[in-house]
Amino acid sequence: MKKLALVFVLLPVIASCGSPGEDQTVATTGGPPAQGGTVVIGLLSDIQNWNPYVVEDLDTEHVLALIYPSLAIEQTDYHRHPPSFEPALAESWSWSEDHLALTLNLDREASWADGVPITSRDVVFTWQVQTSPEIDWLYGDGKDSIETIEAVDEHTVLVTFTHRYPYQFMDLNDGLIIPAHAWAGIPFDRWAETDWRNHVLGGGPFRLAGHTPQQEISLERNPHYHRAGLPYLDRVVFRIVPSEQGLVTQLLAGEIDFVRSINPSSVERVRAHHDLQLVIYDDRSYTHVCWNTGKPNLADPRIRRALTAAIDRETLIDVVYEGFGRLGIGPVLSSFWAFNRDLVALPFDPDTARAALAAAGWTDTDGDGVLDRDGSAFVIEILAPAENELRQDLAILIQEDLKRIGVKAVPRFVEWGTLMAAIEDGDFDALVNGWEEPTQIDLAGLWHSAPPGEPTFNFGRYSNPEVDRLLAEVDEVTDFAEQKPLFDRIQELIVADQPYTFLVENTRLTAHNSRIQGVEINAATPYFNIDEWYQMTEPAAE
Amino acid sequence: MRGLIARRLLLLIPMVWLVATLTFVVVAAAPGSYADTVDHPGLTVEQREALRTRYGLDQPVHRQYLRWLGSIVTGDLGMSFATREPVGRLLARALPPTLLLGTAALLLDFILGILVAVAAARHPRGWFDRTSTFFSLVIVGLPSFWVAGLTVLVFGVLLGWFPASHMHSVGADALTPLASLADLLRHLVLPAACLGLVGAAGTARYLRSTLLDIRGERYILAARARGISDRRVLWIHTLRPALLPVVTLLGLSLPFLVSGSVVIETVFSWPGVGLALLQAAHARDIPVIMGITLIGAVAVLIGSLAADVLYAVVDPRAREDGA
Repeated sequence: MKKLALVFVLLPVIASCGSPGEDQTVATTGGPPAQGGTVVIGLLSDIQNWNPYVVEDLDTEHVLALIYPSLAIEQTDYHRHPPSFEPALAESWSWSEDHLALTLNLDREASWADGVPITSRDVVFTWQVQTSPEIDWLYGDGKDSIETIEAVDEHTVLVTFTHRYPYQFMDLNDGLIIPAHAWAGIPFDRWAETDWRNHVLGGGPFRLAGHTPQQEISLERNPHYHRAGLPYLDRVVFRIVPSEQGLVTQLLAGEIDFVRSINPSSVERVRAHHDLQLVIYDDRSYTHVCWNTGKPNLADPRIRRALTAAIDRETLIDVVYEGFGRLGIGPVLSSFWAFNRDLVALPFDPDTARAALAAAGWTDTDGDGVLDRDGSAFVIEILAPAENELRQDLAILIQEDLKRIGVKAVPRFVEWGTLMAAIEDGDFDALVNGWEEPTQIDLAGLWHSAPPGEPTFNFGRYSNPEVDRLLAEVDEVTDFAEQKPLFDRIQELIVADQPYTFLVENTRLTAHNSRIQGVEINAATPYFNIDEWYQMTEPAAE
Repeated sequence: MRGLIARRLLLLIPMVWLVATLTFVVVAAAPGSYADTVDHPGLTVEQREALRTRYGLDQPVHRQYLRWLGSIVTGDLGMSFATREPVGRLLARALPPTLLLGTAALLLDFILGILVAVAAARHPRGWFDRTSTFFSLVIVGLPSFWVAGLTVLVFGVLLGWFPASHMHSVGADALTPLASLADLLRHLVLPAACLGLVGAAGTARYLRSTLLDIRGERYILAARARGISDRRVLWIHTLRPALLPVVTLLGLSLPFLVSGSVVIETVFSWPGVGLALLQAAHARDIPVIMGITLIGAVAVLIGSLAADVLYAVVDPRAREDGA
């Protein structure tokens, strides 16, 4: 019985490995849902704050999404097309003719955990919080395109946008709805200092039952949840375990039921355990080497292409990720709808790399094994964060690969703070880094040479006027179909320029106890359908 | 004696100040800051800058230091950058678990250490002496994270005798006080054993050699000659003086009681000061690092003072020149 379940989980995975972009969602199977039970989820660190608008931590955001409600639920279909949305607090919605006004009809049954109905007032209040300069919410920029949000009546909200663009609904839906009746009395300038533990009041599937700092967060079923009959579980407990090894150990010991991310090195132990299921799927993240294009050695795209060709990326994936991962291709993940399917990864070809470097004037004139030009040797320093062993391993293997074509690479491992300081000063040659990509395609932040009025994540100072022009054009068009050809062209240009060597599109490994059923796991939203998870009534007998 | 205590207590203030200042300068002057450790994809460079301003991290180190010193003098330990919790409250929460774990470990350390040392010293080079020497050297030599990991694996996972981490089981808040205490003690077993065993191995080695030294003293020979039983010679005449250095050890263990073990607390998810320090160090959370440094420094100084005072109390020879 248990073995069968494992096969169910693995089958879609094997299928997905062959065909990028398939729906990676994997559902487990089991008996009919039963009410009750507890799920224990492992977390690496404790929650940072109980107010979703005073938080700088992703794990915290994910936990709070169980407590506070959303207008709509983003679906997990970003592989095939831009994400669609299913109703949540907003029962239905309709657009005006010009697509600048949106009317939301709120669920009349929805109420906060204290029984007070959730109304338009809460939606308007939430928007005021999201855009308040005093609060300075992390994602506040996403609301710039919203002109006003007005309450038409208790349960009808009118949203007016400044302009039409593809992600209007997604931007509106971003952020959890918070209780105006409970929180409006606290002045915004005091929010950062307020102890929100005493003010937690949600309307999501669960409500706070207890919190022991650095130990556990205990949530219980919210009887006022607007989806009748749900959630199935009585209790969700987050256990804080400060190391990945510890998480896996506790999973094996049966003290934890669910770990969202395990390392490839733990896979064998999890697989060998009868009660555990392993779900393998494309993550929304990739790991790369960012070349500082501002450095004279690395300014020429031909040199960067040669460096990419010299790095045996397949072997890196096998060695460092134990085979879990896909070859990186370009700036859009191959599992995303916007990926340009005509692109392929640059081949591993050290001979061509050597020839390209020689053509650019890099030869080993003094016979020391390191290429030189005009009297200076080709030496680059590769930075990797001291906190991330995988990236350090990558840096070391890349050093070996580059040595073979006569480029001397020196890995240096520094802590995150030091790394960020080096990046801001542009004082580095190469950096092993990773990005987690949002389901909203936004290439400007990483690839625009200087986005007008916007801070940049373009660490390597990449600049291509054609890319800049196309990125500006993307902002002008109003629907996805028009964006796609522009995205395709941008991807082509970036792959040709190789400002990054795209190493690997990461695979996420989620492990959970098979007594938890109905779990729909995807890379878009952790705990996506947790209100539908349930516990098997009888442990499956062998 | 009183003069000694008073002088040492007075000395405490500049010493703690020196330790705190050095720590502050090292932590604040290192490249990067809390604002850089926030690893969040949504955080823009501007917002990072805003965080820096909010916590005064854009100021030069001496300004940050003076600001911190100013608030410390008024008794305010400040707010954690990462959790926005007052440091005083964070410490008040982290101290009891560390004290509990440390006390349990220390008890095990001394009881086991003394018993093993005495048993080994009874027949030097006998089988028990050899075996205990071998094992204590192995235990002292092994890295504690490895010992802890192995303990978790064997007793927590494979045998499942004791919980592998945390202070309480899931749902322990619903238990009766007595059952809750039992739950807590079960969770205490593995981390306390790990900490205590390593300590006991050290104590046993140390005490054994002191015991053997004293056995050669002439007053022991005299005691024997007067026909006092071996057992009495060992437990009364030899052990008592041999315990003197152990008193020093005990005093020096005080800081460990309040600062906790980073390794053990991390492996066992024990919510004490050690774990808090590790997390604060990762986050470059200066107020928390400084708060823990302060109590650590005070504990070290008071511990060594207490050891000196205790030494004077139990050893008459130390009294004259000590006062």
